[in-house]
Amino acid sequence: MQSAKAKDKKKNRQSKAKGEGGGGGDADDFDAWMKSRQLVKPDDQLDLTDAELAEEVTKVLTPTNTNVLRNLVVYNFKLGEFVLAPIPGNTVTLISFPGNSLHVDSEEARFQVEECEEIGYPLPMPNYAVVEQRETVMEGEEEGEGEDDEKDDGGAKPAADAGEEEEAEEEEEEEGKTEGEQATEGEPAGDDDEQTGARPVVPVSGKKKKLINQFNYCERATLTYVNPRRNVDTQTIPPPRSQFGANVLQWTIYDSYNEDYAEQQKAGAVAARRPTAKQNFKKKTAYAEQLNRKYLRCWQILERMINQNIFDDISNDYRYWEDPADEYRDGEGNLLPLWKFQYEKTKKMNVTELTFNPSYYDLFAVCYGSHDFLKQHNEGYLCLFTVKNPAYPDYIIQTDCGVMCCDIHPNYPFLVVLGLYDGNVCVYDLRDGCKAPMYVSRGVKCKHAECVWQIKWGPDMADGEINFYSVSSDGCVFSWILMQNKLWVTTMITLYIENDIADGPDGTKVTLRTGGSCVQFHPTNTTVYLVGTEIGLIYKCSTLFSSKYLMTYDAHNMSVYRIDYNRFDTNIFVSCSGDWRVKVWEDMRPDPLFIFDLGSAVGDVKWAPYSSTVFAAVTTEGKVHVFDLNVNKYQPICVQAVVPKRKNKLTRLAFNEKLPFIIVGDEKGVTTSLKLSPNLRLMVKPPKKQLYLDQLTLQNAKLEKLLSLVRELPEGAQAPDAATTVNT
Amino acid sequence: MAEEEGVKEGDKKIVHIYPLVKHSDMKEEMRHEVVELVVGMCEKFSSNYETCARMIKDTMDKKFGIYWHVVVGEGFGFEVSYETENILYLFFGGNMAIVLWKCS
Repeated sequence: MQSAKAKDKKKNRQSKAKGEGGGGGDADDFDAWMKSRQLVKPDDQLDLTDAELAEEVTKVLTPTNTNVLRNLVVYNFKLGEFVLAPIPGNTVTLISFPGNSLHVDSEEARFQVEECEEIGYPLPMPNYAVVEQRETVMEGEEEGEGEDDEKDDGGAKPAADAGEEEEAEEEEEEEGKTEGEQATEGEPAGDDDEQTGARPVVPVSGKKKKLINQFNYCERATLTYVNPRRNVDTQTIPPPRSQFGANVLQWTIYDSYNEDYAEQQKAGAVAARRPTAKQNFKKKTAYAEQLNRKYLRCWQILERMINQNIFDDISNDYRYWEDPADEYRDGEGNLLPLWKFQYEKTKKMNVTELTFNPSYYDLFAVCYGSHDFLKQHNEGYLCLFTVKNPAYPDYIIQTDCGVMCCDIHPNYPFLVVLGLYDGNVCVYDLRDGCKAPMYVSRGVKCKHAECVWQIKWGPDMADGEINFYSVSSDGCVFSWILMQNKLWVTTMITLYIENDIADGPDGTKVTLRTGGSCVQFHPTNTTVYLVGTEIGLIYKCSTLFSSKYLMTYDAHNMSVYRIDYNRFDTNIFVSCSGDWRVKVWEDMRPDPLFIFDLGSAVGDVKWAPYSSTVFAAVTTEGKVHVFDLNVNKYQPICVQAVVPKRKNKLTRLAFNEKLPFIIVGDEKGVTTSLKLSPNLRLMVKPPKKQLYLDQLTLQNAKLEKLLSLVRELPEGAQAPDAATTVNT
Repeated sequence: MAEEEGVKEGDKKIVHIYPLVKHSDMKEEMRHEVVELVVGMCEKFSSNYETCARMIKDTMDKKFGIYWHVVVGEGFGFEVSYETENILYLFFGGNMAIVLWKCS
């Protein structure tokens, strides 16, 4: 009902508001607020009838607390009986905390103010400034009540209060002493209980000071934290101790010495026994090795004997057979095949170099590698064969890659230097066995970048150091010196092509270089050497300087394979090349003296050691050509196919220094020895009038006579004296 | 025969003058050093065992830290407690016994 009414009224009011335009809105709002109040009552409230509601209930409030226990007894030990406990008062203290201010009207305040006046300076008053600003209020009325209150409160603890007060007194005394007489006045001020009220109130003049409760006063200050103290201690573990005791007596000393001595003897005996066993073993092995060597020697001799028996006819031919047919052949000769040397493991490899040992004429070195870029083997061999044992090499040196060239030192016939396909060089001492090289080039910079084509021992240095030279496709000629523990390498010359500068990247100019393919040292003038290149040029160089060539021969159209100096006239040399030609040159003459076309690439050419006009060449056709310029200036005096034309090629050739036979190597790893027929090694017959002349002079004369025919001397020039070119 | 033996025995007595370490728990290196030191001192002060002991003690104190005790003598008994790994009991010269130990 009521709410409905209110709604009505609300509506009215709203309409009214609309109609009146906001006049008297305040009263209406209040009304609305009152009306909209809802009475909230609990659900379980009793519903009382009007009569019940009208009934009056009388409630009596008395000042006695009915809840207080009045018969509480406690046992009194002193009296030995129960006594009534004192009834607690009606006051219940809910909260109590001491302040730092005094009521201005209190007794204490009064005293304090007096004190201040008397002493002449303010007692500690922290908020002094604040107090000053306060108005002086009813200072006159003051005290009485405050004191009473205090007394009531402190009922239980008056003694304590008294104590505090006394303390305060003392403080004041101290402060006041300087003031002299007034201090005496200050003293009685402390006996507040007696003089309460009696003392005249000191009127506070002008200034209002804050009064401080001296008994519970705390100066505003901050204390930093006091770090708590701790005691920390540790104890280390005492070092471990042990006990030991003994008695020293002369006989104990003696006994222990004896004992120890005996033990030492025993140990010594054992120790002595052991090394003897070792030594024995060593001795045995050494002995066995010696025996083995002895046996090996015997077996080698036996092997040679057997071989000699097997190849008896060849041996006989080798020594004694002179082809009788030569007498009827005018100037022409032939080659008699003798032994074939091959090694099982090198059957598929090319013979890359043949060299006779300078000291042992029957011993020669054969290098096995490959000339084919695509068919490189992962191993290479150097075998030293002797004609006394064609079945098996005397020495075998195995390397990691193909051996391309080698040389045996003329003074130290046990020193062999190898040039390898990978650009490395290594030196072997045949006396130490063939297992490991004595020296080997190490590192990227201490080797050739490409295949080493020819390697030659040089004459010993001034201080006796052994050295050699190598030439490689990378266009460098290196000089190697055998130091105490390493190989020392220096570049002798870099084969730059003269006047041939190519454009490099970024506009730079690159001097082109050519790969060297062979090198040959002048037999007498050791500083001069010839280098054949892959572009067909032959450079005459000097070891003394590397900046320029002494001479450039435009020799061939293809790679120069080998160059050889004439044994008698060192001004004459012969070269062969892949362009099928063999050319004979004279020193410092740009044009060749002789040109021979052999019909296929010429692998090697060599002057004969016995004649100044004889040289031999091998071709890839498998033919050996032997020339004697004295006999025929245009044609070889002997052309003989040694290996089948299609299947095999001849690669290298070497003359034996003493005996009339040559060895030729082929691409199947076979070295064939060929005996030269008498016509191929004709000696010069001295003229009847000059029988005293030796062969050397005759040979030189023969060559000189020949050369004079060929040389087209410019008019007025004299032919150089042939005799002067040979150091005899 | 008997004579020979006697000679032999006499020889033995003379021969055994090398330092004989009877007991030691020192580390190998330390022991070598100490034995060397003791031998040197004993040879130097062979006539006066007191000085010998004092010198050994002083040197040992310097080298291996203080609180060393040294006894040098020909006949004595001892029962000592020592810091482990710091004792050496050796005979030297055929009739001398040297004990040195460390104990604080």
